[in-house]
Amino acid sequence: MSSSLLHPPAHLPPSVALKLSQGAPALLRTTPSSISSYSLSSLFRAAETPELWTVYENLMLSCLRTGDEQSAHLCLERLTNRFGADNERLMALRGLFQEAIAEDDAALQIVLKEYETILNNDPSNMPVSKRRIALLKTLTKIPEAITALNQFLESSPTDAEAWAELADLYVVQGMYQQGIFALEEVLLITPNAWNMHARLGEVLYMAAISNDFEANKYLSESLRRFCRSIELCDDYLRGYYGLKLTSSKLLSSSSQSSKQSKSDTAPLPTSTVERLNELATAKLSEIVRRSAGGEKGWTGYDQAEVIAAQALLDQDKVSITR
Amino acid sequence: MTWISNSITGLGLIFLTHAGYSAHEHSALYSTSAATLTSISSHGGTTPTVASLPLDISIETIVAIFMICLGLVLGTPELRPIQWRVWAGKIEREGEDGFIGGDGEVDKYYVGNPFRVLESRPGFVDIRKQRSEFAAWVREGGQPAPASKS
Repeated sequence: MSSSLLHPPAHLPPSVALKLSQGAPALLRTTPSSISSYSLSSLFRAAETPELWTVYENLMLSCLRTGDEQSAHLCLERLTNRFGADNERLMALRGLFQEAIAEDDAALQIVLKEYETILNNDPSNMPVSKRRIALLKTLTKIPEAITALNQFLESSPTDAEAWAELADLYVVQGMYQQGIFALEEVLLITPNAWNMHARLGEVLYMAAISNDFEANKYLSESLRRFCRSIELCDDYLRGYYGLKLTSSKLLSSSSQSSKQSKSDTAPLPTSTVERLNELATAKLSEIVRRSAGGEKGWTGYDQAEVIAAQALLDQDKVSITR
Repeated sequence: MTWISNSITGLGLIFLTHAGYSAHEHSALYSTSAATLTSISSHGGTTPTVASLPLDISIETIVAIFMICLGLVLGTPELRPIQWRVWAGKIEREGEDGFIGGDGEVDKYYVGNPFRVLESRPGFVDIRKQRSEFAAWVREGGQPAPASKS
């Protein structure tokens, strides 16, 4: 049983998803079709492991993604046999299945109605409220999704996943201020999440580009966020990429405006930014060189990210020689 | 490297068994000889002094215990980094390859970046978008991943 089936498959590349779902019929055949927890026959069967149900859930997601609805339905049936149809998580999974097989928007509206009926009966059903928000997003009703998500966060303000989703919705809408706030809430809950620090840095950078008025303030804040993500994670490609991007931008813009203010968010001294820029360049080229060379212990980077870093370095070289 | 530690531990166990056996034999031999001696000179009035173990048996025991300790310490799996940034850097830099256990499989409890769920967000997954993306990927002639990469 591969380890990737024990984790939510949303981030997996399509090739891995296809491989997982191709293995689904075989896996479903080898595992027993029903496991009853209290009966004499369970003494003679293989023991029920908690992993099995995680595997079913993730397998179902992979199969839905690749269009293998039969296997997905089988997974769903087995989960329902075990946990009952009124299990909150299973309600959400069933809704997900119906969303996936829906023909058109009208069918999706019916699913949305179903979610709302469930939520009317039991407003505390977290998985289904999350599905409802996701479905609103699918139907490109982003403002409604944002409102629903805000209501959701009123009742459960420590849900980092929901805050991150809210931040993404705001950023999609171009509301960077609110997105930054939501990401800061995520960081209050998970202060060590290095990827979220980098994400906040990216959103701050986008805000700086789209906003001329306070661009420098956003840029130096973004620089600080990328520095924090590197502090939390050695050789973090995304962090160094952002550091290089923001420091170059700061260097090119600081020549135009040089007014300084003494506060916590004051712009960094130019010499510091220059040194950070040099450090980022050195680190990026080291990562690109070692990863491209396939050195042992440097193979975990995403190839697309390495290529992007290479492109950034090349672009930098061109502008220096010019 | 495992065969070195295993052989050292095994050798140490052999020495320990040998030392224990020697000690047992020594005491058995000594008590019988002492018993015959006392029966011969029963009226001598001297009580036999309990002789301590010979020095070589003691040394063998100590050496064997040290060898077993050394073998076990050498055989421990590589320690995980305890500094957050080193651990996180290992995940980013090496990916799954850095967490392959002794059996050649990726460690069962390896989760990668535990905060990745904040970006993939399984609770809010947009399955229709994933399906259409997958269909587009198939149209472009995507191939399943090779068997070794899972």
